[in-house]
Amino acid sequence: MKITVCIGSSCHLKGARQVVEQLQWLINKNSLKDKVELGGAFCMGKCQQGVCVTVDGEIHSVSPESVTSFFESEIEPKA
Amino acid sequence: MNDLCADIGFKSVNHVGEQLCGDHVDIVPSGDDSSVIVLADGLGSGVKASILSTLTSKIISTMMAAGLSIEECVSTIAETLPICSVRGIAYSTFTIMNLRDNATAELIQYDNPLAILLRDGKNYEYQTTEMTIGGKKILKSVIPLKEDDIFVMMSDGCPHAGIGQAYNFGWKREHIIEFMETFASVGYTAKNLASLLVDECYSLYGGEPKDDATSCVVRLRKREPMSILFGPPSNPDDCNRMMSLFFSKSGKHIVCGGTTSSIAAKYLGKTVKPTLFFDDSGLPPIAEIEGVDLVTEGVITINKVIEYARDYLSENNSYARWSMNRDGASLISRMLFEEATDINFYVGRAVNPAHQNPDLPINFNIKMNLARELSESLVKMGKRVKVSYF
Repeated sequence: MKITVCIGSSCHLKGARQVVEQLQWLINKNSLKDKVELGGAFCMGKCQQGVCVTVDGEIHSVSPESVTSFFESEIEPKA
Repeated sequence: MNDLCADIGFKSVNHVGEQLCGDHVDIVPSGDDSSVIVLADGLGSGVKASILSTLTSKIISTMMAAGLSIEECVSTIAETLPICSVRGIAYSTFTIMNLRDNATAELIQYDNPLAILLRDGKNYEYQTTEMTIGGKKILKSVIPLKEDDIFVMMSDGCPHAGIGQAYNFGWKREHIIEFMETFASVGYTAKNLASLLVDECYSLYGGEPKDDATSCVVRLRKREPMSILFGPPSNPDDCNRMMSLFFSKSGKHIVCGGTTSSIAAKYLGKTVKPTLFFDDSGLPPIAEIEGVDLVTEGVITINKVIEYARDYLSENNSYARWSMNRDGASLISRMLFEEATDINFYVGRAVNPAHQNPDLPINFNIKMNLARELSESLVKMGKRVKVSYF
């Protein structure tokens, strides 16, 4: 499974760093490191919905507050 | 004509409690590859010293740059300087460096500590001839220049640092030579070398300088072209034209901006590989494109670079940070401030619709202001900057 987090200007201001760090932590904690590949990407062109995160190409809007629920619903069951 | 250029930088610290510096450095370019640099140290400190040294350096640099002889300059100063009511003399010591075509340096020194020349990273004793003009003993040297020559001119506040505190008799010239030799081959800019010396003097004085201390460094270096790309073109049809102009330039290439980097990657037939490495700078991570020397995010990173540039041009307190760190802004600062001498700046004027949001501090006008301020700062650093808008 491939997850990319937008680290462009706008998403950066909306907390991309926290999203990346929380995802890294959650992936480690759930021992999903072999199954999930976490990467970065510059602007995805959907700045209004930032922080933009894609899961196997499908775009989602995530905020630092919603990372955990996003991880539980979109990543954990599918990995 | 050679392909050398002079990197000139200076820094002063004031006598404790004084708002004005009694030392003054003036740089007057005379033609493309020639300039006159004068470091003057006025008698005493504070306002009076500041007036004496400013007058001296202004008069000498202007007259020398206009091609007048040293005799005329010295006699003009002797007749112009106001006489100190306390001491009954008009006095300002000076060091003049007359750079000609970046090929020879004429040094004229009067009572300042002898300028240091570091050649191939080591102290080089150059010849001086003594002459007397208007009763003043003046030392003159003509030195053919070599690549990587570093001249360190200073006021006596530097060797006097630490008298009676850190050292019994201050910091001697040979100690300063030893200190500067350590940094000679690192590649620090003239400004940073001058700052290193003056900051060291400041700490030897225990933070309370008993005299104004100034250092002016002139570093001869090879010209280094560099190109930086910031923003996509306003007309998408210009992408290829902009990219082919950008990538055809020699030297290193820097690409700033998310959309911009994907256009550059597409042009090169490569992919953008962003890293997820965050540090304590608060800046977005950098990325990699094969064939590009540095890829960073745009507005936030450039904003930080400008912050560093402003500081570099004034107090120069944050060089320790940008000369070490690995974040995008520090990397750009090192490449532009330290390495580059000739910069081609390609600015794209596309409006990113996603950024035109009142909640985001990154709209179009801000981007254009950043581009303008960055190029202005680079010009102030003595770089040749060519800006092209698309």
